[in-house]
Amino acid sequence: MTAIDASNASAPSDAAVLARPARTGWTPRRRQLVGSTSVLAVLLLAWQLLPQALGTPSYVVPVLSDVLVALFDPAAFPRYLEAAGATMTEVGLGLAIGVGLGLALAITLAQLPTLYGIVFPYVVAIESIPKVAIAPLFVIWFGFGLSSKVVVVVLLAFFPVLVNTIHGLRSVDRDQVDLFRVNGATPMQVRLRLLVPASLPQIFSGLELAVAASMIGAIVAEFVGAQKGLGVLILQAQGRMETPAVFALLIILSALGIGLNVLVRLLRRLVVTWERH
Amino acid sequence: MSALVELDRLSKVYSTRTGDVVALQGITLTIDEGEFVAVVGPSGCGKTTLLKILANLEQHTGGTGILGNRELGGKASDDVGMVFQKATLLPWLDILANVLLPVTLKRRASAADREAAMDLLRMVGLEEFAHKRPDELSGGMQQRAAICRALVHHPSLLLMDEPFGALDAMTRDALNVEVNRIWRETHKTAVLITHSIPEAVFLAQRVIVMSARPGRIVEEIEIPFGRERTLELMGTPEFAALSARIRRDFEVKAA
Ligand SMILES: Nc1ncnc2c1ncn2[C@@H]1O[C@H](COP(=O)(O)OP(=O)(O)OP(=O)(O)O)[C@@H](O)[C@H]1O
Ligand SMILES: [Mg+2]
Repeated sequence: MTAIDASNASAPSDAAVLARPARTGWTPRRRQLVGSTSVLAVLLLAWQLLPQALGTPSYVVPVLSDVLVALFDPAAFPRYLEAAGATMTEVGLGLAIGVGLGLALAITLAQLPTLYGIVFPYVVAIESIPKVAIAPLFVIWFGFGLSSKVVVVVLLAFFPVLVNTIHGLRSVDRDQVDLFRVNGATPMQVRLRLLVPASLPQIFSGLELAVAASMIGAIVAEFVGAQKGLGVLILQAQGRMETPAVFALLIILSALGIGLNVLVRLLRRLVVTWERH
Repeated sequence: MSALVELDRLSKVYSTRTGDVVALQGITLTIDEGEFVAVVGPSGCGKTTLLKILANLEQHTGGTGILGNRELGGKASDDVGMVFQKATLLPWLDILANVLLPVTLKRRASAADREAAMDLLRMVGLEEFAHKRPDELSGGMQQRAAICRALVHHPSLLLMDEPFGALDAMTRDALNVEVNRIWRETHKTAVLITHSIPEAVFLAQRVIVMSARPGRIVEEIEIPFGRERTLELMGTPEFAALSARIRRDFEVKAA
């Protein structure tokens, strides 16, 4: 009897506890969203107001509205579009080739332990040097056109994919391999139906790194010597001291980088459906 | 009964960087068609090695071995079904596709194959989970699916390497009853490796006791119970006496 009374007595307060978040709508997720939006609003406001208040000249730090004017300047739009197209062509081509080569070499090395032992120390060594420093050399070798940029992007996209994929392939469960062998699987079946799918999470992690690296590669390669691209426009704007345009171009670059990253993560969700989030 | 497995003074030496490891020595063993044999022995005595040799995953280095009408050590035979300690289901396939893997590695699964797989899943009470992913199943359910996978291509030999070692005692008992039923219904020849003496006595018609490395067979005990085993059997004095005897062999001869 007393037990029932006690549970009855506590029932309303339990309900109140459960109802509280729903009533005010302050779920943790919502809190985060409101928080990060406020941070952005404060930063943008500061950007608009602080340079004027401190008397900073526009060619050093332009106010937000000047940057927005430069960004949405109808006269500049075709140039932005053409440059973005050129840069993304370099990124796209370089990524495709770099990722393809990285995957192919990773699969080869993972299956040939001796070759892996010979080659991998060099991979690590090359991985640890700042590869963008080779960009000037590539301009000498491949000229000012598309190919020298693509080569730099390939080089930068290749390594994260190679290293992550190898790691994924080599950590595949021995018992799963035995399972395939016991059922008479061919080496090609082991590769395509076990090793590759099992490594997809790591392959995608490599891909995310490769995407970020390839944007860096394309821009640096354009700085070094190019006729087209967002990197070229940034240098031109800098030469004319048009700092608002520099900022506008940086915003375009960031948007493209974020877009590409979101695309890869979306693809990962679609492909690696068994991964827990 | 004709013999399915005949091992004659079979031995296995692993060559490693730190020298040779004699894993098995002078293993002479005959397993009849339809027989259920359990192997017990101290850790590291070569039980898994023996199973891998039977599955053609490892090559023996001495003696001879015959499985069916083939010499062991040749081309990988796909006439065995293997259950590992972990379920080793592929997380990107649903349960039905996992069970069908031994078939689909050879050809497209036919309607009859799918029907056979569903029959097996029904037999272990998993038909409702056919289209779930492995991570939606409990450990015991996953291991049941792994047993179905080991049977779907009608192998003549079922090999199980401590299949229930990672499961709790209750689930383990339930699965042992199920394995007994599957064995009776499918008339398979089965080799079970286990650390549990009661499990060996409960399931097997014959228990092989192996010695510490180098692994040799030190005792073979016939288990005189009928083919059908129920959990009540575990409470009988005969069961206790047999388990105690094997434990003694284990301590005296196997150490
Ligand atoms: N691939 C290998 N290379 C070298 N030595 C091995 C290899 N596999 C097993 N061994 C050695 O052979 C011996 C037998 O190993 P095995 O795995 O067959 O033992 P086990 O009886 O299954 O042990 P456990 O009960 O712990 O599973 C061990 O000493 C082990 O170290
Ligand atoms: Mg073992």
